[in-house]
Amino acid sequence: MNVLQVFIEAFRSMNANRLRTALTMLGIIIGITSVVMMLAVGESAKKFISKELEILGSNLLIISPGANRTQGVRARTGTAPSLSFEDAAALNELPSLNGAAAALQGFFQITSGSDNSNNSVLGVTPEMFKVRNWKIETGSYFSDSDIRAAAKTVIIGKKVADQFFYKADPLGQFLRIDNVPFQVTGVLQGEGRSFDGGDIGDLVLVPITAARANLIRSPFPRNVHYVIAQGKSDKAMKDAETDIKEMLRDRHRIKAEQEDDFRIENLASIAEAGAKISTGLAALLGAIGAISLVVGGIGIMNIMLVSVTERTREIGIRMAIGAKPRDVLLQFLTEAVVICLVGGLIGVLLASAGAAAITSTGKIEVEIGMQAIIIACAFSSFVGIFFGFYPARRASRLLPVDCLRYE
Amino acid sequence: MSAALIALQGVTKSYFSGGVETRVLHGIDVQVPRGDFVAVMGQSGSGKSTLMNILGCLDQASAGSYLLNGVDTLSLSRAELATIRNRTIGFVFQSFNLIKRMSVAENVALPLIYAGVSRAKAHQKALSELERVGLKDFARRLPNQLSGGQQQRVAIARALVADPPLILADEQTGNLDTQTSVDIMRSLQQLNSERGITILLVTHEPDIAAYAKRLVRLKDGRVLYDGPAAEGLRQLAASHTETVGQP
Repeated sequence: MNVLQVFIEAFRSMNANRLRTALTMLGIIIGITSVVMMLAVGESAKKFISKELEILGSNLLIISPGANRTQGVRARTGTAPSLSFEDAAALNELPSLNGAAAALQGFFQITSGSDNSNNSVLGVTPEMFKVRNWKIETGSYFSDSDIRAAAKTVIIGKKVADQFFYKADPLGQFLRIDNVPFQVTGVLQGEGRSFDGGDIGDLVLVPITAARANLIRSPFPRNVHYVIAQGKSDKAMKDAETDIKEMLRDRHRIKAEQEDDFRIENLASIAEAGAKISTGLAALLGAIGAISLVVGGIGIMNIMLVSVTERTREIGIRMAIGAKPRDVLLQFLTEAVVICLVGGLIGVLLASAGAAAITSTGKIEVEIGMQAIIIACAFSSFVGIFFGFYPARRASRLLPVDCLRYE
Repeated sequence: MSAALIALQGVTKSYFSGGVETRVLHGIDVQVPRGDFVAVMGQSGSGKSTLMNILGCLDQASAGSYLLNGVDTLSLSRAELATIRNRTIGFVFQSFNLIKRMSVAENVALPLIYAGVSRAKAHQKALSELERVGLKDFARRLPNQLSGGQQQRVAIARALVADPPLILADEQTGNLDTQTSVDIMRSLQQLNSERGITILLVTHEPDIAAYAKRLVRLKDGRVLYDGPAAEGLRQLAASHTETVGQP
């Protein structure tokens, strides 16, 4: 008996009992929908994180000064002037880090001709570009001499360039930041929201020394607002954190029993925390999927057993005219597998609809990959074989003489 | 010996239920040469259905030997028995036993499908077999759209499709009216005489048995008579008048 014939007969007998087949399939449909959705959501969450991290620069640690204490009252984190250029420079040399870059941040009015806007301005060192994975599209990076000379140069994001210079070449033009003229020497590549709420396109970067000298004046001229450090690899982040902590405690002469006067945050872990919600959702879907596949499988086993009993006489006829036990086994097994596969296919279609619905909310892009479809097919075939085997074997072990007597 | 299509020797069959042995057949010795046309008669409980099941390889004897076409069936596996049924025996049942969901042509083709013949070839052969029984135009119908006599002719076509040397018929006219029974019996006779197919049928009606060449009568699991049909039926009629016809 050839494969095609076996499949034709399976479809025929499914068609003979349409309502029953549909109800039997339901468990598998729900199960496969959930499993495929789980895979798709999980995959999308992973993609989302890696995209965020790409924008952010990967393996980043952000070190901010600790809180200022005045008469026992703890103020906002970052208010204490406890991080300096020298700390950043020392951290930059740590072997467990790719680099460390200091930054000053302020909010200023930027003008050029009649255009003006209020924008966040970052004072950075050349290391910042490497650490944050920022690339120059046109122009050049800050040089060490820019830093030494506190050169009034500025590197801007694409959006800023479009806003102030529209289609003209911004290089060599001047932007007035807080009324101080800065010459544009570079435009950054790319745009897009990054996890810390910023957009590469909105960035306005100046040498950190120029920011200190012209924009963000302070009684503590060596202090910086934060330092961003990049670990060597995502596995070595804990070590990097420990090294930074040790070095800074040592440099700040903090006694063993004293609290740190700085804070270290892992930006990736913040991004991951955001993605945990989607991972949690995926796990929930997976659990629903697993349960409904098992319940659906039991349903299939149940219906196949009924079907075998119902068709005892038919089994007898088939055996009488030459069906071997193996042929009967194959027939019922195929029927169970086909029910599962069709259910699985419907499940994949439903999951695609679900994915499209989620994507249309605009929060996260969910896509059903080829991998998810293959896994769905494999799962449903497995359920069909696993739960269809017992009824099929039972059918194949019936004796023809008993079957033909069965009314 | 080897010329015989069917050779039964000392065949017994016992059933066990609740630890009690019920012996249905007590040592049957029957030889059926090729081309014979045998009617098996007996009252219910005589063991004729059990004998038919054993002959049809649907059931196996408890003891004795059964050579079918020279093959000892007692030593065969279930799969091997299935192959024997497929190649050697065509079944015609009292209740037709067609598969309701399949068209007439598909029903007829099914033995060939199980024999591994391609769908196209099996369909072709099924159509030519249906043509012989005059039902080619009904090939696409479902069995229950046909009359009883037509269904039984479809069953005969199915029994013949794989060209078996032997047809086993079990009360094949039991559900049919007289005229249809006559038609069916004539066509079986024709098969026997024209195609040389050996036919063995079980019946309790002397009218039906009269179409056969040879009669085997069973009683309580033993062969009571084995000889020419005409003589056997005369004896049967006589015994009937003796027992039933007495005033």
